[in-house]
Amino acid sequence: MRLSLRPRLLLLLTLGAGLLGAGPAAAAGIAFAIDSAAASISVVDMARQMEIRRIPALREPHHLVLSPDGKDLIVGDTVGNQLLFLDPATGDIKRRLTVADPYQLGFSPDRKWLVVNGLARNQVDVYDAATYKLVKRFPLSSMPSHLVYSPDSAMVYVTLQGTDRLAAIDLNTLSVRWNQVVGKTPAGVLWNNGKLLVAAMGTDSLSVVEPADGRVLGRIVTGKGAHNLFHSPDKQIIYVNNRVAGTVVALDAATLKPLRTYAVPGGPDDMDFAPDGRIWITLRFAEKLAVLDPATGAIQTIDVGRSPHGIWLNPKAP
Amino acid sequence: MFAPFDLAAGWVQEHLLLPLLYQLGWMRWEDLAFGWALFAVYGAFQVAITFAVCMPLEHWRPVERWPDAKAVTVDVLYTVISRVGILPLLTFVAFYQIQVALNGYLTDHGWVPPTLELLFPSLIGQQMLTFVLYVMILDLSEYWRHRLSHMFGWWYALHSLHHAQRQMTFWSDDRNHLLDEVIGFLWFTAVALLIGIPPMQFPLLVLLLRFLESLSHANVRLSFGWLGERLLISPRFHRAHHGVRGAGRGSRNYGGVLPWWDRLFRTADFSPDYVPTGDPSAPEALATGGYLMQQRAGIGRMARALGKPARPDAKRSA
Repeated sequence: MRLSLRPRLLLLLTLGAGLLGAGPAAAAGIAFAIDSAAASISVVDMARQMEIRRIPALREPHHLVLSPDGKDLIVGDTVGNQLLFLDPATGDIKRRLTVADPYQLGFSPDRKWLVVNGLARNQVDVYDAATYKLVKRFPLSSMPSHLVYSPDSAMVYVTLQGTDRLAAIDLNTLSVRWNQVVGKTPAGVLWNNGKLLVAAMGTDSLSVVEPADGRVLGRIVTGKGAHNLFHSPDKQIIYVNNRVAGTVVALDAATLKPLRTYAVPGGPDDMDFAPDGRIWITLRFAEKLAVLDPATGAIQTIDVGRSPHGIWLNPKAP
Repeated sequence: MFAPFDLAAGWVQEHLLLPLLYQLGWMRWEDLAFGWALFAVYGAFQVAITFAVCMPLEHWRPVERWPDAKAVTVDVLYTVISRVGILPLLTFVAFYQIQVALNGYLTDHGWVPPTLELLFPSLIGQQMLTFVLYVMILDLSEYWRHRLSHMFGWWYALHSLHHAQRQMTFWSDDRNHLLDEVIGFLWFTAVALLIGIPPMQFPLLVLLLRFLESLSHANVRLSFGWLGERLLISPRFHRAHHGVRGAGRGSRNYGGVLPWWDRLFRTADFSPDYVPTGDPSAPEALATGGYLMQQRAGIGRMARALGKPARPDAKRSA
């Protein structure tokens, strides 16, 4: 079913259905949603689906990642030039670490590296994940945005939003393997079945990229302003957020064929998956989180701060 | 509390700016566009609330009544340009670029730009107290910028556009030469980089401060009483600065929001008079010309001032 026809009306109907209890029972736990503009982190009770408190950051936090040992939820504050280490169960701030312009960040699957993209400063920093010591800085033009590792942790791929490129950094030799044009304003990037999928935000499509040399093998149309993409927990489906179209598109991960389009207005950005099957999505321009039931298309929304960006769910939190 | 304004900015971003950026192929600037939308929406509200409060006050107890208020019209244009339109866009983009370039350079040389909270860690988490401290520092810095603009002949030649208005109203606050605005912007940027200002974390407080600045220019007999006059700058206090004897060097009451700096540096004048405003030494075009004529006249006066060792009007100032 495609919801492109009068999507707002349908969204309201599905929202109404959700409010009437048509959706599944809400998962327990807490969600952390970063409010970039107000420099805070909203803590949301997942069962009651309401914000319960805000954790002050410093200037402009954007993204967050769980440490490999699961003991720290690490928030990057770009303008504040620091990483905040939170207790993932409570949200208490444990410590702060000075790091230049931490925008998007991620640990390698082998837990050896932490790569931090400095979007404003056109740099990609590779840190030792055990010590948080900077190992090497790669000046890359321009606007390093999102990143993904190869499954063997040998490579990290970084989208360069300002120059329409994707850079491949060899983590064994600590050198740039290739740097190729892949599509207009590339943002989210995902490793899928031996290929890279890059959301080209200046277009309506994903670029399918060969990891060995950066060749563009094809394009998959998803919607205007394709911004970010995520695997479902079972890796069978890829959900793509389209920023301009205001939609989330589900693709079959094996065939890359569209399965369904959901109308999600408000600037859909990051997402995470709850154990109950629902998808939590930050709505960048609507001060809300959307909770999408992919089975029914029902959406519930939760009021949060002024500019929700990164999100992480901890269903095990007390 | 912020919701209606932030949602309006989100609407502008989602429905006007994003489609436009997408069509123009400028999606890389989408984050910047959202920042500008926030500035513009708050600026528009600022103008509306200032109008709603100050207009009745000016009708209730005007200091002066004029047969016509044609000279005020251009001040309205200045206000709209300064608070809603092109100037916030340019300053936002310019500030972002300068901040990124300078921060990047400094970070590359091993010096991460500080913030007040990092200099004084006990401020972390004390957002309101921190904001008050930022306001004080900024207001002090503005006091000296303003005072210096009266001391240097070439600079005052530009600033005299602000002083030339003989029909001073709440609209006159933004009546400034563009070059004077640029200097003010660079001044602000330097301070912002030194202490890491977080203006958009507290938009309503920033709005309140700008409202007080507009109110201080209002054509109204309004004093805050003996104590109030010493805590916040009133229309009476600021009118003494705009008086004909306050033009040029040796003026008084330079403060923007807090009169403390004038007291500290012995430039305060708490006399109860409501004096006529204007700069007798300024060309008539600066007082009653249209926008472009005033801009040209300001440049001309600056050029003449640069060609002279001292300004004659400086001698006339008290």
